[in-house]
Amino acid sequence: MPPKKSIGAEYLKGLWDENPVFRQLLGMCPTLAVTNAVINGIAMGLATAFVLILSSLVVSSIKKLIPNQVRIATFIVIIASFVTIADRFLAAFFPPISKALGPYVPLIVVNCIILGRQEAFSSKNSVGRSLLDAFGMSTGFILALLILSSIREILGSGTFLGFQVMGSWFKPWVIMILPAGAFITLGVLLGIAILIESKTKTRST
Amino acid sequence: MSLSARMIVVLTVVGLISGSLLAVVGLLTKERIEMNRQQEIQTAINEVIPSTKTSHKIYEDETLTVYESLDENKNNVGFAVYTSGTGFQDIITLMYGVDPSVSKIKNLTILDQKETPGLGAKITDEKSFLRFWEGRNCEKPLSLRKPAVDSPEKLAPSEVNAITGATISSEKVLEIVNLSLQRLKQIKQGGKLSSEEKNAT
Amino acid sequence: MDILTVFVAAILVNNFVLYYFLGICPFLGVSKKIDSAFSMGMAVTFVMTLTAVASWMINHWILIPFGLDYLQIVSFILVIASLVQLVEMFIRKMSPPLYQALGIYLPLITTNCAIMGLALLAALKDYNFIKTVVFGVGSGLGFTLAIVLMAGIREQLDLADVPKPLKGAGIALIVAGIMALAFSGFSGMIK
Repeated sequence: MPPKKSIGAEYLKGLWDENPVFRQLLGMCPTLAVTNAVINGIAMGLATAFVLILSSLVVSSIKKLIPNQVRIATFIVIIASFVTIADRFLAAFFPPISKALGPYVPLIVVNCIILGRQEAFSSKNSVGRSLLDAFGMSTGFILALLILSSIREILGSGTFLGFQVMGSWFKPWVIMILPAGAFITLGVLLGIAILIESKTKTRST
Repeated sequence: MSLSARMIVVLTVVGLISGSLLAVVGLLTKERIEMNRQQEIQTAINEVIPSTKTSHKIYEDETLTVYESLDENKNNVGFAVYTSGTGFQDIITLMYGVDPSVSKIKNLTILDQKETPGLGAKITDEKSFLRFWEGRNCEKPLSLRKPAVDSPEKLAPSEVNAITGATISSEKVLEIVNLSLQRLKQIKQGGKLSSEEKNAT
Repeated sequence: MDILTVFVAAILVNNFVLYYFLGICPFLGVSKKIDSAFSMGMAVTFVMTLTAVASWMINHWILIPFGLDYLQIVSFILVIASLVQLVEMFIRKMSPPLYQALGIYLPLITTNCAIMGLALLAALKDYNFIKTVVFGVGSGLGFTLAIVLMAGIREQLDLADVPKPLKGAGIALIVAGIMALAFSGFSGMIK
């Protein structure tokens, strides 16, 4: 069994080393779909964090009670319940955001990050560590969404969080808001992430 | 407890807890969500028929929903038509207001669209598109003016301005409106828009 | 929208992968060779069609009549998971060679956002039964089209000189972006 990480490391790994989007290549669907504006990216990130953290909490609390054969089904019910709560909450109290995110909030239920963490971590670790892991992965996910949506919004609309940041000389690159822009930006970011990783590796060896 | 029994118990318990939790959340949020929906429709009606004091649904079928607008003396000041149709990219949902005789368009507002940002999406823009819809004569089907003009005065009474660079989206909106206007006139002829008739029955 | 429109739109104009961003994980993971991509596409189309039917029935016979629409997410995902399980068992029994070809992809399909996305979108668009089924088949075919095209390109790309950091997922995404651009040319096709 691998040595237990320190508390700090347990949290921080989600930000870079095991960043769900850039390193593990999970949760791509929402990352591409809702990052056309920063506010949407943040909202999706928070909703996902809500589901991930609470699911990990519940799963790691009752892990001893769940027979192995039904664990996936149980995880799914738990995750789906929190997703429904998040979805209803947004629809009731933040209708414009709910409309902008559309079907992607219910789709959090199939976000591989969440089921993946339950299977790989929460079902095998203490509540405390599972929470740290969930917080770390959530932070990493939100960071990824923030980076991607900032690039797309600034270059695609000239705004950030709805505020004009590029002067009128700037003609927005509409492609950034289109699906094509999402794919290409993420592809380039992935490439940059791998580049940084390989450079830091060669420096330390 | 045998394994199968334990599996069933665990699944049932988890199911019941989740079901109850969701029922509670579902009921708590149900009203709010319904209210938000009504609010959206109400705001749109007020936008497309500015003199509205109250309104109610007067007709509905699969293609459109018609709301009757009343002023403070309960007189009919117009009808708001809520309808949707295929746009350039995806479905466009819109609402427009007509006067009681269904001969003039009061205003148009776009409720939902997924057109190309910066181009087709300009159909939601007051300055480039929506203001050209005010007061259009809709006794006959409306037509699209292209190339676009820069002020409503330059349009013929039954013309609607196209958006430069987004002719297709503009055209789609026009089609949706024309189609629903045709239907609206049919409904009116069939007497289904009269609220006196409704109250009498 | 009439039936033909729904069908064509699902494949080209509103392609599941290139417009709705659904099914990216298998799209990136299983698109390295054309024949495995095609098998995955067929498996997905099959499950999507079944899911379209099942989700429509649950929505219209149980959820809506009893005012239980808040149970939509939970019931849909459980149905999908069960369907995939059943389909896997069925194929394994009925046709071992087919199972050999498709089998490993099936468990992957459960968390494939494309399937859940299909159920949710069909419910959102409020299609009747026939349109829902057509939507399911069309979306599956659209997914297959995208993934097979991608596999075709990637098989060629393997021989090309891709900068190291971009190898694999990076270049795949960029290619997907270009494909998305190409597919956006289909917009406006629908009268």
